Order: sequence, then C-alpha cells, then structure tokens
Amino acid sequence: MNIVESFKIALSSIWNHKIRSILTMLGIIIGVCAVIIIVAIGTGAQNQLTDELFGADKNIIELYYEPFPSEDGGEMMWIEPEITSQDLAEIQGVPGVQVAMGINHGWGNLIHNEKQIEIEIVGVGRDYFYGKNIQMLEGRPFTEQDNDNMNRVIMIDDYTRDKLFKEDEEVIGEIVEIDGNPYKLVGVYKSTIPEEYRWDNGEGLMPRTLNGMMFGAAEIQQIQILGASAETLSETAEMAAAKLTEIKNLEDGMYTYWDMSEYEEEFQTFYLTITLFIGSIAGISLLVGGIGVMNIMLVSVTERTREIGLRKAIGATRGRILSQFLIEAMTITLLGGLIGIGIAMLVTMIASQFLPFTAVVSPIVVMIGAGFSALIGIVFGILPANKASKLSPIDALRHE
Amino acid sequence: MMKLSKINKTYKTGKLEVPVLYDIDVEIEDGEFIAIMGPSGSGKSTLMNIIGFLDAPTSGDYELNGDKISAFHENQLAALRNKHIGFVFQQFFLLPRLNAVKNVETPLIYADIAKNERTIRATEMLEKVGLGDRARHLPNELSGGQKQRVCIARALVNDPEIILADEPTGALDSKTGQQIMELFTQLNKEGKTVIIVTHEEEIAAYADRIIMLRDGVITEDRRLQA
Repeated sequence: MNIVESFKIALSSIWNHKIRSILTMLGIIIGVCAVIIIVAIGTGAQNQLTDELFGADKNIIELYYEPFPSEDGGEMMWIEPEITSQDLAEIQGVPGVQVAMGINHGWGNLIHNEKQIEIEIVGVGRDYFYGKNIQMLEGRPFTEQDNDNMNRVIMIDDYTRDKLFKEDEEVIGEIVEIDGNPYKLVGVYKSTIPEEYRWDNGEGLMPRTLNGMMFGAAEIQQIQILGASAETLSETAEMAAAKLTEIKNLEDGMYTYWDMSEYEEEFQTFYLTITLFIGSIAGISLLVGGIGVMNIMLVSVTERTREIGLRKAIGATRGRILSQFLIEAMTITLLGGLIGIGIAMLVTMIASQFLPFTAVVSPIVVMIGAGFSALIGIVFGILPANKASKLSPIDALRHE
Repeated sequence: MMKLSKINKTYKTGKLEVPVLYDIDVEIEDGEFIAIMGPSGSGKSTLMNIIGFLDAPTSGDYELNGDKISAFHENQLAALRNKHIGFVFQQFFLLPRLNAVKNVETPLIYADIAKNERTIRATEMLEKVGLGDRARHLPNELSGGQKQRVCIARALVNDPEIILADEPTGALDSKTGQQIMELFTQLNKEGKTVIIVTHEEEIAAYADRIIMLRDGVITEDRRLQA
C-alpha cells in the first residue's frame, strides 16, 4: 500500500470524525500557532532593535580618541586632538576607506514666520551626502564653495519642513533664523532619524566650517568611515585609526574604533536565546496536544478493533496496520500544524499593522513547525498504532 | 488440499485451561463443499479459524498444499490468507464508512493491486453476486442478504481457492439464506473449495460432506449423495 493511499484513507477517516478531529487538532493548532507568532514577533522586534541600536547602515564605523591611563590610575585631564580637513583627506587615502566623514554637532531653534522648532544641526562636508546616502527631496546639497566660503546656507529634513512650512509649496530660497542669525534654505532631504528617537525634534545640515564657527566647536568633532565592505570594516578602521594616531603624532593616547559588530553579535545571541526560551514554553502546548492525539488514537483503536481484526483476516500484516494508524496520527498533527501556521501568518500580518515593527514569519520556522507537528504525530501515534498492530485477528473480530 | 493431523486447541483463561479441540484428523480435497456442524461450544468455529490460519493450534500439524502452516511467520500467514482464503462472516464485518465497491476492494489493497484494477475487479465481483446496481451504497443502505453478498464478493475478489463461511446465513431470513446458499453452491461448481460452519440441517444439506463436531471431537464425517 503506497503512502498516498494511506494518506487518503487517513484523510477520509479524519473527515468522518470531523468534530473529534478538530478538537484533537486544537492542541497542535494552538501550540504551532503560539510558537510561530512568538518567534515572528521576537524576530521582528529583534530586527527593529538591531536597526535602531546598530543602524541599518552596517558599513559605517566611528573612530574616537582614547587617552592612555595615567600611571597612578587616576583620572587625567586630557585634550582631544583637533582634526582638520587635511587629516580627513589622509584617512580618505587609507585602503578600504570609501568615504571619511567629518561631523560636528549643534542645537538651535529654527524660526520662520513666528513658527519655530528645535533642531539638531549637523555640520557636515560633501563627503556626508554620499557616506550616509542622503536623499534630496527639494533643492540641492551643499557645494564645496559653500563649505570653503562659509556660506550661510542650511538644509532641513522633511520632518522640519512639515512643521515649519506646512502650507508652502516652495521653500527653497526662504530665509530662516537660528539664534538670531539668518540662513538661506537650499535643500530638503529625507530624514534618517527613526521615528522613536525623534522626540519632536527636527534636523538640519550645515557646512561644518560654518557650524563649527556658529557653535564655537571644532570643525570636526566626530570621524565616521564608510567601509568598502562589512567584512573588512574592522580591519579598515584599525588601519585608519593607526594612520590618524601616526599623523597626529600622539603620545598620551591613540585613536581607536568603536566596533559595533561585536556588540551586535552578542545582542543577537542574547535576543535569540530569549525568543527560543519563550518559544519553547509555548511549545509545551505542543506536548499537551501530542498527548491529546495519543489519547484519541487509543480510543480510535479500541473503537475500530473489529475493523483491525477484519483487515488482518483478509491479509493485512502488522506493518500495514501499524503504518495505517501512524499515518492517521501524523495526518491529524500535520493538518493541525498547517492550520496553525496559516492562523499564525494571518495573526502576525494583522498584528504587524498595530505593532511599531513588522513581525517576521521566516520560512525556516514554518518548515520546522510543519515538520515538528508531523513528528509529534509519529511519536505519539506509535503507542496506539503498535497496540492496534498487535491485536490477534480472532480476538479483534470477537470484540464487542 | 488441506490436511489436519492430531490438531489440539486449548484456551487459557487465567489459570484455567479450557480444551476446545481434541486430536482432529481431517483431509479436505480441492473442490469439496463441506459443512462443519455441531451445537454451540462444540469447537466448530475454532476449527474453521485454524483452517483459515486466523488461529494457531496448540499442537498438531496442518498442511496446506504440502506446506506446514506452523512454519510460517505471522506476516506470511497474512499473505497466505489474502491469497488462498476468502472469509464470509455471520456478522459481515463490512467497514461502515466505505461503500460496497470499496469494501470489496480491501483485500486487493493488501495484495498491492493498483487502484484502477482494484475498482474493476471489485465491480465485477459485485456484478457476479448480483449487486452491480448497489456498488456505491454504504453497508447501512443494504439489506442483510445484500450485505452478505458484498461479503461474498469481498471473499472472492482476490480469487482464492478456499471460501470459509462462519454461519453465513445466521443473520438472514430463511429465503435469503437459501439464495446465499445457492450462490455458494454455484461457486463450488466453479471449482472453489467451500467450507461452511453451521448448526442448521437445511443449510448443511447444500454441502457434499458433513463433519459433525461435539465437545471438540469429530463424531461423524460423511459424504452426502447428490
């Protein structure tokens, strides 16, 4: 008897006991559904957190200055070396460095027509636009001349434009005011700030020379590198940091890099452990479901004792009876598993509408879910199927 | 040909041993029509089960066409039953959820016959027993006589040499019972060995040979003159 045949017999047997079969499947449905939903939400939240904590742009790494510890171990006053555009150009020359970005920061109130919004003003160079993949929505990015001549120009993100120029069709060329100083608006770009971290603040970009002067800060406070590839990023950063230490002729400290990938891996492992832990608690309901299947299969064997006797009388071997009942148990749990997967997909799809992130049902989890539910059928079907196969045909036929 | 020598059968219920058959010696030639008779408890059903290797004797030898049955493994016996023996039961034992054709097909499933051929052969058998028009009916939509015909079709479908019928008319009225017996007679004429267990003289009268059992012993073994 081939598998397809057995499967059909099993399906018709399940169909003939609809209510019983559905109740039996319920445990498996709930179990598979719970596990998949939990893993999906867990994965979605993890992806979201990873993006927020480590950034979607994995090729960017930051260099920072670290002073050597003093001899007595106490805190020491230290002055961070000043980085110039020339230093940045040197780093740009290090192999593997695609873009070396110099950045400084300031905060101010952006005012236009009696409306105002607090914005972070990031002082950047031309390098920034390519390095951070800034998308222009209106106007233009800065030019080299803007930077060199300290032209009083500013770009704002779309969020700030919305707050300040809601009704205005044309904003390029408008004059805005920060701390009493006028600036010309030359462009609007798509914001890169995640919604959760915005705190109702906008963002603007200014030439870093101008920004440094306005806020009395160094032209370059922060160095970020866009690497050619994620794999060689640490290596590239190490070389760049060494280069910077060398050209600055440092004695009391050195430049090093902030390797997020290490923390990221740790974080991912930690999160996966939590997801799997909660998932396996949900998996207990699969165990309960499996016991339910075993129970109902035992009832079914008892009910069908005469059928088993007859089948043996007309030529069914032990193996055939065994496989018939095993396949039936497996079909019940597999069907339950598939229904559970379907419901879980529906639920995660709906839930994603209300969650701040997208829950992800991965194909691997679906396959494991289907395979595992079939496995439950086999494991919990063995006892009843074995009992059925061992019945003596005479006793089975005499069974009342 | 079947040869039973010194067959004994004892059932154990707890510590109690209940002897059912004593030193049964019977030879059955191919093509015979035999009725095994006796009052209830005489061991006639047990004897039939042993002949159909549904049950194993406690001691003694049973040879089918020269092969010793005791030498076979359980799975081989299942295959032998499938190939050589067709069972007809008083209680029919039809599978309630399957229609007549599907019921008749079941032995062919275990003989690994392909689906299409199974349906063709099962339908043929139903036509042979006069139920061609009831092929798609479920057992509970059939009368007692029709159910027994489905059983006979199922017993015949794999073309066995031997038909074993345990009280095949026990659940039927006498007129229907006669029709069933005529069907057995016809099958016997076509060459099947037919062995019927019954306690009714009228039914036994269809056979060519009557074996009488009483308290597990053969008390009479006679051939009837046609």
